[in-house]
Amino acid sequence: MIAFENFITHTLHGLQFGFVLFLIASGLTIILGILEVLNLAHGELYALGAYAGFAAIGYLTGLVAPPTGPVSQVVYLLVVVAGSTLAAFAMVPFAVAIETALFRPIYERDEVYQLVLTFALLLVFSDLIQLIWGTQSKYLQGVYSTVNGIVVMERVGITYPTYNLLIIAVGAVVVVGLFAFFDRTKTGRIIRATAIDREMATAIGVDTDRMFTLVFALGVFFAGFAGAIALPPSNANLAMGSEPLVLSFVVIVIGGLGSLRGAFVGAIVVGVLSRWATWQYPPAELAAPFAIMAIILLVKPEGLFGTWGETA
Amino acid sequence: MRPDDELRSWPGLVERDGESHLRVTRGLVLSRRQAGFALVVLAATFAIPDITTLAPSLQLTVLHQGLLFGLAAIGLNLLLRHTKLVSFGHAAFFGTGAYTAAVLATHYDVQSMTVLLVAALVAAGLMAAVIGYLSLRHTGLYFSLLTLAFGQLLYALVQGQSFFGSSDGLPVRPGPANRPLVFGLALEPEVYSVVMFYVTIVVLVASLVVMWRLVNSPFGAALDAIGEDRQRARFIGIPVRRYVWAAFVVSGLYGGVAGALYGMVRQHVRPEPTLHFLSSGDILFMAILGGYETLVGPLVGGTVLVFLQDVGRDVTAYFDLLTGVVLLLIVFGFPSGIVGSLQHGGRLRVAGRQLRADPTVVGDWLAAAGRAILTGVGVWLRNLGSVVGVR
Repeated sequence: MIAFENFITHTLHGLQFGFVLFLIASGLTIILGILEVLNLAHGELYALGAYAGFAAIGYLTGLVAPPTGPVSQVVYLLVVVAGSTLAAFAMVPFAVAIETALFRPIYERDEVYQLVLTFALLLVFSDLIQLIWGTQSKYLQGVYSTVNGIVVMERVGITYPTYNLLIIAVGAVVVVGLFAFFDRTKTGRIIRATAIDREMATAIGVDTDRMFTLVFALGVFFAGFAGAIALPPSNANLAMGSEPLVLSFVVIVIGGLGSLRGAFVGAIVVGVLSRWATWQYPPAELAAPFAIMAIILLVKPEGLFGTWGETA
Repeated sequence: MRPDDELRSWPGLVERDGESHLRVTRGLVLSRRQAGFALVVLAATFAIPDITTLAPSLQLTVLHQGLLFGLAAIGLNLLLRHTKLVSFGHAAFFGTGAYTAAVLATHYDVQSMTVLLVAALVAAGLMAAVIGYLSLRHTGLYFSLLTLAFGQLLYALVQGQSFFGSSDGLPVRPGPANRPLVFGLALEPEVYSVVMFYVTIVVLVASLVVMWRLVNSPFGAALDAIGEDRQRARFIGIPVRRYVWAAFVVSGLYGGVAGALYGMVRQHVRPEPTLHFLSSGDILFMAILGGYETLVGPLVGGTVLVFLQDVGRDVTAYFDLLTGVVLLLIVFGFPSGIVGSLQHGGRLRVAGRQLRADPTVVGDWLAAAGRAILTGVGVWLRNLGSVVGVR
C-alpha cells in the first residue's frame, strides 16, 4: 500500500525537480528555436550559476539576521531569491561576450561546427569553474536549514522541506512570467516572429543581431538562476553540469524542439516520473527519462507540441 | 583507366601515364611517392612498440587507445562525411563492443580473442540496427539528440545492473591465463600488449581499405547523394532509408570492433569511458579534429585527442581547458581539421608557403588579429548596451 503522505512528498520532489529542469530547458529550447544552435555548454552555465549563487546568496544572507517572526521570514526568503537573481545577472555580460565573439561567426556554418564550439565551451567552462572555485564542493547548508526552519507543510501533517516549496513557487512565477513575456510584450512577440521566419523578421526591420544576443542572454540568465536557486538543497560540484544538460535534451525532445510549452510539460513529466521511479524502483532512476522519451518519440515523433512560435 | 586495371582485383604494380603505380585494390592506385609515404607510415606504426620503449613520455597504451577511438571515429565519419548525419551516440556501439567482450569473458569464460571480437561485432551490429531503425526516422538535430539519448539509456542501464558490474565495470580476464588467448596462445603480459597492438594495426589497415572501397563504391556515391539532398536522392530512385540504415550499421560495426579491442587491451571495461555521452562527443570531435572530409583524418584526430588528454593530465589539472582551446582553434582557424589543413591547398600549407616567400607576412597576421579583437570588444559593448537597454 502506497502511503498517501509519501506520494505527496515524492510528487512535490518531482515538481521541484521539474521546475528546475524547466528553467534550464527553457533557455536551451529558445536558444535552439531562435539561434538554431544546440548549446552543449548549457549544463555548465547552470553549474556556473550554482557557483555564482554560492557567492551571492552566501554573501547576501550573511547580511541579514536569521528570521524570528513572520516578517523577517519573508525578508529572508526574498533575500535568497534576490541572491539567485544577482548571480544570474552577473552572468549576462559573460553571455553577451560569448554570443558576440564565438557564436556569431558560426551561425552560417555546418551544425557540426556549432556542436564542436559549444562542446569546447563546455570543457573550458568546467575548467574555469575549477580554476576559480577549486575542486571542493560548495554547500549552503545554513541557508537550507534556516529556510526549512519556517514551518509550512508540517501544518497539514506532511514533512517536506520549505526550501523546496520556495523553488516550486519561484519556478511557477517564472513560468507565468515567461509565458506572459512571450505572449504579451512586444519584445516577446518579436522573438517569436524571429523564430517563425528569420528572413521575414529582418525584412520588416527586426534587428536580428540584437534578438540573438537577447535570447542567448535570456537563456543563460535562466540557466544561472536555476543553478543558484537549486544550490542550497544539494551542493555545487564540478560534475554537476552533465546530468541536467542531458535531461534537458530529453525534456525538449519530449516537448518538441524549440517549443516553450513543450519544454514546460516535458520538464514536469520527466521531473515527477523520475522521482516516482527513484521512490518505487531506484535502479530505474537514470534510465526512466530516456525510456519515457523513447516511448513518446515512437508514438509522436515530432514531440508533444511541435515547433514553437505560432503560440508561446 | 585501362580496362585490364578494372578487371584485376588483386594488388600489384600497374603502369599508368608511363609510371609504375602501386595498385592496392580496385580504384585505389598510389603513385610512387604516395606508396612510399604509405609504406613509411605503416613501418612507423609497426615500430611504435619499439619507439615507446625509448621515449618515456610516449606510452604504448595511450597511443593504442587513441588508435582504437580513432577506429570508432572512422566508422562515425561514414555517416558524418557522406550522409551529413551527426551522430552523438557512437559511444553506444563502442560500449556495446567493449561490454560484449567483458560479459562473455567474465560470465561465460570465453577465452578466444577471435570469438570475443566476432561476438562484439554481432552485438554492435544488432545494437546499431535497432538504434538506427529508431533514430533514422529523423534528421538534423533530432537525429543527434536521439542517438545521444539512446546512448545515455544504455549508459544508465549498465550503471544500474550488477550483471554489468554497475559503475565499477567488468574485467576482461578469462581463463587460467588471466587474459584472452590470441589465436589459442596464452601470452605473457608484455608480449600480450605488443601482440594486441599489432592485431589492432592489422584490423585498422583492413578497416581503412574496406572503408575506402565502401565510400568509392556506388553505395558510397549514393550516400553522398543522400547527404547532398535527400529528396532528390529519393527522386532518382535511391532507397534512402535502407541505405542510410545500412551505413549506420556499418559505422556501428566499426565502433563495436574498436570497443572489443579496447576491452581486451585495457582488460577492464567501465561505463564512464566507454558509454557516457562525453565519450560520444569525443568520438565525434576526433573526426572533426583530424578532418572529417578525409579518410584517415578521424584516426589522426583520435590519436591526437587521446594523447592530448593524457599528456594534459600529466602537465596540468586543466587538461579539459587545453582540449577546449584546441577545439576552438579547429572551429575558427582550421575547419578542415589536421589532415585537411596539411593536405595540398590546405590552410597550413598555404600559410607555410606565404611564410617562406615573405616572412614579414607574420606582421600582417598579427595586425589582422589585433583588429579582430578590437572590433570584437566594440561589438560586445554595443550588444551589452542593447540587452540592458542602453542605446
